[in-house]
Amino acid sequence: MIDPITGLGIVALMGALATIAGAAEDLESDVGSQSNPNSQVQLAAQMDFPHRIFNKAISGEPPAYGLWCATGATVASVLLAQNMSVIFAIAIGSLAGAILLGLFSVTAHMGRTASQKRFKQPIYMDMVIGHVPSIIAHGFIAVFCIISFSYIMDHVLSHPFPLPLLAFLWGITAGAIGSSTGDVHYGAEREFQNQPFGCGLNAAYSGNIVRKAESGLRNGIDNVWACAKFGGPVTGLALGFTVFFDNWRSTVFSGVNAVIAGLIIVLILILANRLVEVQGRKAYGPFKDEDGGAETA
Amino acid sequence: MIDLISIALITLGGVLIGLGVHFIPVGGAPAAMAQATGVGTGTVQLAAGAGLTGLISAGFMYNFLATSGSFTTSDFILVLASGAVGAMIMITVTMFIGQLVYVYCVGVPPVSAKVDVDPITGDRQDIYVSKGTEGHGVPTVSFVSGTIGALFGGMGGSLVYVQLMQIGNAPSDPAIVALAGIFATGVFYVNAVLASYNIGGTIEGFHDPKFKRVPKAIISCLVASLLCAIIAVPIMGGVS
Repeated sequence: MIDPITGLGIVALMGALATIAGAAEDLESDVGSQSNPNSQVQLAAQMDFPHRIFNKAISGEPPAYGLWCATGATVASVLLAQNMSVIFAIAIGSLAGAILLGLFSVTAHMGRTASQKRFKQPIYMDMVIGHVPSIIAHGFIAVFCIISFSYIMDHVLSHPFPLPLLAFLWGITAGAIGSSTGDVHYGAEREFQNQPFGCGLNAAYSGNIVRKAESGLRNGIDNVWACAKFGGPVTGLALGFTVFFDNWRSTVFSGVNAVIAGLIIVLILILANRLVEVQGRKAYGPFKDEDGGAETA
Repeated sequence: MIDLISIALITLGGVLIGLGVHFIPVGGAPAAMAQATGVGTGTVQLAAGAGLTGLISAGFMYNFLATSGSFTTSDFILVLASGAVGAMIMITVTMFIGQLVYVYCVGVPPVSAKVDVDPITGDRQDIYVSKGTEGHGVPTVSFVSGTIGALFGGMGGSLVYVQLMQIGNAPSDPAIVALAGIFATGVFYVNAVLASYNIGGTIEGFHDPKFKRVPKAIISCLVASLLCAIIAVPIMGGVS
């Protein structure tokens, strides 16, 4: 049993690693365009808007990251069993997961784009060469950090789950958080900067994504540049908070007290959400008059 | 003789997961473009993310209680509560951060398109829905609904895990832990996917008319979980 101060330090380190992992996970999905916003990239060519955005919806982000992390953690476990140093074992394992991500990215992008030949969407080979290293690099950081805090949880905090299972579960959680938070910045804001800010995207504009960049034609690298200013960091915060709060309560408290502490955190978040909701309503609405009639502009 | 109580409890866990998924506000791809109320991801994705975080918490608590002495009924309940709270923390953090993106980055107010007035806050909803959308963001009623959904999902996943561990009767054996953990994950996905088909894409929470479809999901989750339990229990050693 570790003492509480050391335990808190370890939990803080895990939270920091999770924050980096969450940010890298979201930014990787922005470079390559994965998850729900990619439906618009896929749709764009079909609506006669050919583009230079990387198109790789390999699968939903949670199962995808579950796979990369489980692969990396399995390789790391094997190397650890051969007495390799922890950092090297996790780094090599993460590299294996990241290379797998790169392979899937190439096949997913080429397969998806080739299927859109009838809509005259070209496959740009320079895009494949330019985007895939960035996807692998972001994926490596995300997988490395997820396996690292899973390793700490497994070997230092003595979690009963084996490392690959723990990394698999945290990979799924990281993907779910990235898909739910940071991707909204990419999908609702960055892809549709040709619409007025705050209009809420009218379904009639589906597929009409921005295709011109600040300079030249827009691609995934331009998207990650913008999303790194908000979507990526807040995704990191979300995963970091989840890992930190969940482990903090069971490190500082035990038994029923840990459950009560968790419920208090949940209650605080419900109230915080209400404050943000009230602020949003004051700032942006209403869009119609009180009778629900004419638009107020 | 096959362990019928374990089969019943694992089936109950599966049904709780299926029920919980219906509470979670997910808007799928439209919500990722601020075209629908709820979190901008798929039903299964968010439910699994929350439920499996709960499973990690439950695994921690079970290991602590089961290896330090006899495992009593109150310990059993404590593990389920720990799993439920773990899932609730994940989903509330995710919905809150998602809300920050909707309000401060996309510039839309959180609003439900399925009800005219939020049943919890009493706020008018219909006049805040922007043109051509089915709502956006996570209003309070959806937020609370999501929290309840995570409670059920986390509790259900933990129930499956704990019961499988009880059958295995070796809390320190990594093979038993891994088997129970992966089975619990599998049962979670089976029921989350079934519930997702019942929802058919998007749901705002318990106030959504689609929520009335819950009885159908409970029956199908009951059958599917029963089959999972009949396979899982003998594998874990629940036949004497």
